[in-house]
Amino acid sequence: MDFLLIPRKEEEIEKEQDVIIIGGGPAGLTAGIYTGRARLKTLLIEESSIGGLASLTATIENYPGFPEGITGKELSRRLEEQAKKFGTKILDAKVLSLTLDGIWKIVETTKGIYRAPSVIICSGTKPKKLGIPGEREFLGKGVSYCAVCDGAFFIGKKVAVVGGGDAAVEEALYLTHFAEEVYIIHRRDELRAEKITQEKAFSNPKIKFLWSHIVKKIEGDKKVERLILEDLKTKEEKIFPVDGVFIYIGLTPQTELYSSLLKLDENGFIITDENMQTSVPGIFAAGDVRVKSLRQIVTALSDGAIAGVSATKYLEEIKFKGGI
Amino acid sequence: MALLRDEDRKYLENLFKENLKDKVKIILFSEKSSGSKLYIPGRIECPYCQQTREILEEVVSLSELLELEVHDFLAEEILAKKYGIDKIPAILFQKDDEVLNLRFFGIPSGYEFSTLIEDIVDISRGETHLSEKTKNFLKTLTKPVHIQVFVTPTCPYCPRAVRLAHQMAMENKLITADMIEAIEFPHLAEKYQVSGVPKSIINETVEVEGAVPEDIFVEYVKSAIKA
Ligand SMILES: Cc1cc2nc3c(=O)[nH]c(=O)nc-3n(C[C@H](O)[C@H](O)[C@H](O)COP(=O)(O)OP(=O)(O)OC[C@H]3O[C@@H](n4cnc5c(N)ncnc54)[C@H](O)[C@@H]3O)c2cc1C
Repeated sequence: MDFLLIPRKEEEIEKEQDVIIIGGGPAGLTAGIYTGRARLKTLLIEESSIGGLASLTATIENYPGFPEGITGKELSRRLEEQAKKFGTKILDAKVLSLTLDGIWKIVETTKGIYRAPSVIICSGTKPKKLGIPGEREFLGKGVSYCAVCDGAFFIGKKVAVVGGGDAAVEEALYLTHFAEEVYIIHRRDELRAEKITQEKAFSNPKIKFLWSHIVKKIEGDKKVERLILEDLKTKEEKIFPVDGVFIYIGLTPQTELYSSLLKLDENGFIITDENMQTSVPGIFAAGDVRVKSLRQIVTALSDGAIAGVSATKYLEEIKFKGGI
Repeated sequence: MALLRDEDRKYLENLFKENLKDKVKIILFSEKSSGSKLYIPGRIECPYCQQTREILEEVVSLSELLELEVHDFLAEEILAKKYGIDKIPAILFQKDDEVLNLRFFGIPSGYEFSTLIEDIVDISRGETHLSEKTKNFLKTLTKPVHIQVFVTPTCPYCPRAVRLAHQMAMENKLITADMIEAIEFPHLAEKYQVSGVPKSIINETVEVEGAVPEDIFVEYVKSAIKA
């Protein structure tokens, strides 16, 4: 037996909170651990799967303290348990808007409106799209952004992974458990992934590389059958038959909701100071969603901890008397 | 052998104690001697039947309101037909002598285990978490709707899609909603061109890729009815 995931309990949730956390990835869950321990009434809102991108990662090998590695779902489960243990409540809903009303931050969700003087945005990122013909059309028909979800459909088949960063190379390695051949298609002639991950990929007989190539089109009849590639060096176009293509070309911050409220950088990431404070007092941001140099679980956790403490201090400063 | 860890067992025991109201019978269609390594000619392969049974046995042991009934798919062909069971393992639910139109085909493990538990709670309580708008729409149905949701146990987004379909089936008997574990039924995955999950097929005509919000899924159901 692999594992059995235990469901969350539906809870009674008060409309007025001390802290509202948007997003239940590693950053949000850690912020919840810290505000919960500070005895602040905390609501965490997650629209999709608890654990965020970490729950989509097969094995995490670089998370300190786990020399044998830990699976994404196990880490997510543990973080969730820990956040709940200290009183953080979890709402299964999508946040639709964030507005201000005096000291209150108003959070509108698909399951009602909640408010708190302090909000921590941990909404992370979503996979960047290639934006090429066929990408949308063949979603679920050979185009995927989730190797753990869909890898098993490609047993004995030939797949391509587009990208050259950590996520691309790690997921290419994961896909070798299923696929017969895994081609990493990268627009540069070297990888950006960690050296140790690169070494594994180079020595894996199932992984092959197409350097300095970009994907121009995804084609097929009812499902993906081939890619149209361009060799950036020779400008030549080629037809490349594949059964599936996994796209890991980077991340787009999920910040559309906050673009008029908060200062963002030119790529849409939220600008914060080192205390995770955004341009609006009482609103903090943590994890992959903010401007930073390393987007990893360990730094998401660190951001979450700092944001939790900053929110606690903020509530003390404005002498807000909520609490549980 | 206990599949659940001690703490999870206690958690579920408590969850059932606090939330279950009425009795629910879980019906499993399986193969008789599943688990045996002997090759018996004519017997269908069911690599996950044994594990599915173990999971269900453990779940029903956690509450007095739950009961498990196991049937042999081949030997009890007539009964299987009556319930529309054409593949195994298949899980159905019975409450107050009525067998509901929501089913699991394939093992409810991984993320789908949580779907199983949440379904049991809803069935026992006789309530769903669908919006009033959705419930009102479901009341207007006049024709049968069949929803098949393809999943893999490692897909974190999939329970959302299955739960939605299953709750719709709880609200209106004209809806039949099936979870199908895609890897166990490759012929179906092939037939419906599934190579990404979740994917829902409504009335054999409308395809829904991904876990879409409730109101959008309802629109797909409407378009399947019109088609
Ligand atoms: C394939 C892959 C492999 C990776 N491997 C590793 C690795 O080996 N080691 C490592 O350290 N890192 C790894 N990472 C990076 C790591 O997963 C991220 O850095 C980390 O998950 C960031 O955490 P986060 O909490 O900031 O954001 P996320 O994990 O992205 O979580 C954000 C959450 O917010 C939710 N959300 C967003 N908007 C809303 C809204 N409006 N309403 C409600 N909820 C919302 C989302 O649903 C999501 O669950 C990997 C990433 C990928 C994609």
